[in-house]
Amino acid sequence: MILGPVGDRTGWKVEGATALFLVLFPALLALFGVGTDLGTRILILGLFGIGVDLIFGYTGLLSFGQAAFYGTGGFITANLLIHHNVPNALGALAIGTLGAALAGALVGSLALRQVGIYFAMLTLAFGQLFYFLENSPLRAYTGSENGLPGVPKAIFTAGPWTLDFSSSLGMYVFVAMIYFGGFFIARRIVRSPFGAVLRAIRENPERALAVGHRVPRYKLVAFTIAAAYGGLAGGLLGIFQGYMPPEAFTIDQSGEIIVMTVIGGPGTLIGPLVGAGVWTLLRQGLQNIDVIAGIWKLILGIVFVLLITGFRRGLVGAAIALAGRLRPAR
Amino acid sequence: MNFAHGGLFTVGAYAGWLAYTQYDSFALGIVAAIVVTFVLGVVIERILIRQYYARPKEDQILVTFGLGIVLVETVRAIFTAQNKLVPTPPWAEGSVQIADLVYPQYRLDVVGIVIVTLAVVWLIVFKTRLGLIVRAGIDDSLIVEMLGIDIGRAFMLVFALGAAVAGLAGFVDSPILALTPDVGTAVLVQSFVVIVIGGVGSFGGAIVGGIVAGEIISLTSVFAPDWAQVALYLAMALVLIVRPQGLLGVVGRA
Repeated sequence: MILGPVGDRTGWKVEGATALFLVLFPALLALFGVGTDLGTRILILGLFGIGVDLIFGYTGLLSFGQAAFYGTGGFITANLLIHHNVPNALGALAIGTLGAALAGALVGSLALRQVGIYFAMLTLAFGQLFYFLENSPLRAYTGSENGLPGVPKAIFTAGPWTLDFSSSLGMYVFVAMIYFGGFFIARRIVRSPFGAVLRAIRENPERALAVGHRVPRYKLVAFTIAAAYGGLAGGLLGIFQGYMPPEAFTIDQSGEIIVMTVIGGPGTLIGPLVGAGVWTLLRQGLQNIDVIAGIWKLILGIVFVLLITGFRRGLVGAAIALAGRLRPAR
Repeated sequence: MNFAHGGLFTVGAYAGWLAYTQYDSFALGIVAAIVVTFVLGVVIERILIRQYYARPKEDQILVTFGLGIVLVETVRAIFTAQNKLVPTPPWAEGSVQIADLVYPQYRLDVVGIVIVTLAVVWLIVFKTRLGLIVRAGIDDSLIVEMLGIDIGRAFMLVFALGAAVAGLAGFVDSPILALTPDVGTAVLVQSFVVIVIGGVGSFGGAIVGGIVAGEIISLTSVFAPDWAQVALYLAMALVLIVRPQGLLGVVGRA
């Protein structure tokens, strides 16, 4: 149990620390000469990763098809905004998230019939199904290999008032608020009785079933929630870039979000954000060094293999373990 | 089957290509692909995989997935991402006419190589002592060890054998595909689909699944090319709904 069971003693400290971090993050990045946009990108991936963490870190379901939902939410949101079907970004994001959740329920109801490596294979295959759907039959709505350019920025108007998030910092604030909302809800979920059952399924599915929990139902709900997080993050990606890229649907995207979650620390909710930060900043940093510019992914791959072998709970898990050891015993 | 097989496919393809173009011998290419991936399989199993037998299945998936990335990126670092042209061997050029169909000679030869490989693997798994130990070990490794058998060695050899088959497949496939570091990933996903359709743990299922998958793609390509790939995955979903264990699968082998 990494963040403790229902009713743990962390209270609101984790939420408070996260809010504080979100406020300071752009300044921290600026100290190292990194632009705010990279921070926004990291938050979007961190939000995507919260969903992955809910199913993998908490429920023990390893899905290699999460890009399907990232892309679905992204393209629904982008389409709605480009064609002005909904008045503003929040409405489009809500519908995109719902669409991704529906896709998640559909894929989950099939893939969850299997467990372990077989489940992982199925999610990977369904991820490819969505990729090929985007790529060919649905190209009128997705732009195929070109993606969808011209996604409007997040600007809200009500009567004479206008709230404009189109600047770089504005976009960061918009994404940070949504990230915090998503993080807050996820914390509620994992600390609820529902979350306790998810952990029980991770630790011992047979026993969870034996004490009377409807394990398949719980798994499906968790999978659907994870898809919703993916969809929301995908929608934000399109708005942030002003362009919805087809790469959102690729196997590489599914794999990268798993790698980020595992590097950061599964079962911590904040881990994916840390992993996304490490991945994104290392990639940026390594690409600036001539000798190793071409092998940044090789280096991250080796780090990943070493981390799973040595620190199963990722960077955040290791930090929590270290903090626990430093605290004097009562 | 594991998630590193895509990377091993790539490594086999490049090892074979290197030997083939350096020494102008296709046979040497085959030998190189098999030997390099077999040795790599032994090394990977000894250093990494054996630590994972006692860990959760999800950890095994993650580490093989990570290894796949490392293998593909290593190949990319050494050989660059540029396409490599793997020529068809001279004895397999041209095409054959079978009834009304004109078929490239090399593809027929590949079918032959595949049949031989399948036969060899089948013999090893079902007719040798090694295969017996491994099959028993999957059912109950504790009992096998109590009988005084070194099961670790058997698992290592089988892991390396699987790696070598993936490597051989990579090389044999390379004159048909354009050789890039990413060839393995695409093939890996398709092979998963084949296993789901055919049935996990079933030797015949893999063959039937492969044929069914090939037919679906070719036939849909004729009538609705946009839907060719999608149809394959929809067929997989259909098999899952109607017959979750796969066409020839055995219940309880997943």
